[in-house]
Amino acid sequence: MGLTAAVIGVGGLGAPASLALARAGVERLILIDDDVVDRSNLHRQILFRDADVGRSKLDATVDSLRRAGLKTHLDPRPGRLTPANAAVIDGCDVILECSDNYATKFLAADVARLRGLPIVHGSAIRFIGTAFAVSGAGGPCYRCLFEDIPPGAQAGCDVAGVVGPICGVIGALQAHLALTAAYGTLISLDGLRDELRVRSIPARAGCALCGSSPTIDAIDAARYHPVEAEEN
Amino acid sequence: MAVIVRIPTPLRSLTGGNEEVHVEEAGTVSDVIDRLEVKHAGMKDRLLDDKGVRKFINIYVGEEDIRFLDGLRTAVKDGEQISIVPAIAGG
Ligand SMILES: [Zn+2]
Repeated sequence: MGLTAAVIGVGGLGAPASLALARAGVERLILIDDDVVDRSNLHRQILFRDADVGRSKLDATVDSLRRAGLKTHLDPRPGRLTPANAAVIDGCDVILECSDNYATKFLAADVARLRGLPIVHGSAIRFIGTAFAVSGAGGPCYRCLFEDIPPGAQAGCDVAGVVGPICGVIGALQAHLALTAAYGTLISLDGLRDELRVRSIPARAGCALCGSSPTIDAIDAARYHPVEAEEN
Repeated sequence: MAVIVRIPTPLRSLTGGNEEVHVEEAGTVSDVIDRLEVKHAGMKDRLLDDKGVRKFINIYVGEEDIRFLDGLRTAVKDGEQISIVPAIAGG
């Protein structure tokens, strides 16, 4: 399959997603991350071993996929997707957004839309996770679902924790959605109830990114900060 | 009978940890939120701002996002399930 996928974040979601894509035979994986392996990652970041603690996640991911003998060409790109660094995804056919923070999720959504690239978003925290695939041709998009970045500090997996298998399921679903191009489909997993819900999300006409008169027509760094918290 | 509101994890601090709250005598989603506020003070502010439902929160009646129904005026019936779905980060 002559497909190039860019995986933003090779952590809890990016590891199973990368493995599934490589095993599915995608031609090239662009891997984007700036973090190092922490011991607390190991329960969910399935490509890493104890000996990888302290190493760059990219190096450890590349070594792990190479050990598996996969033919996929690996293209590690150290760094983060930032408003000034959208070129880090250059050359991909599809984006897998496996990041752990809202700013990157919204930025990736905007970059994908402005470049006309399909993107599959993934999130997981505690016992819940979601995967959502967006077409390169337009909405429904992530901003149809959530209009803007929540205010205040977020509780990420490092603080709130996440159940390892939830990440495994969501990361694998992201790879699946990228390969099946099931756009507009939101899959959510509630691990406490063992419920998997599949919803078809309609596009919102008033969406700032993909609606009939979009207001987001360029990447503006000021947009990727939390919206002002209301005073209480 | 009542409508059943599914409370997401970040808001369960307001419901004493309960993941479901039953709300009686509510005709619309707006009524449901008012009743929730009476039972669990602070809930309304977490869900709404002066323009309506906060931008990073979705409210579903059954399987339908209220933005595609009548918004806060969307009618609710006894036995129906209302889900509050905030954006989540983490990976
Ligand atoms: Zn949209």
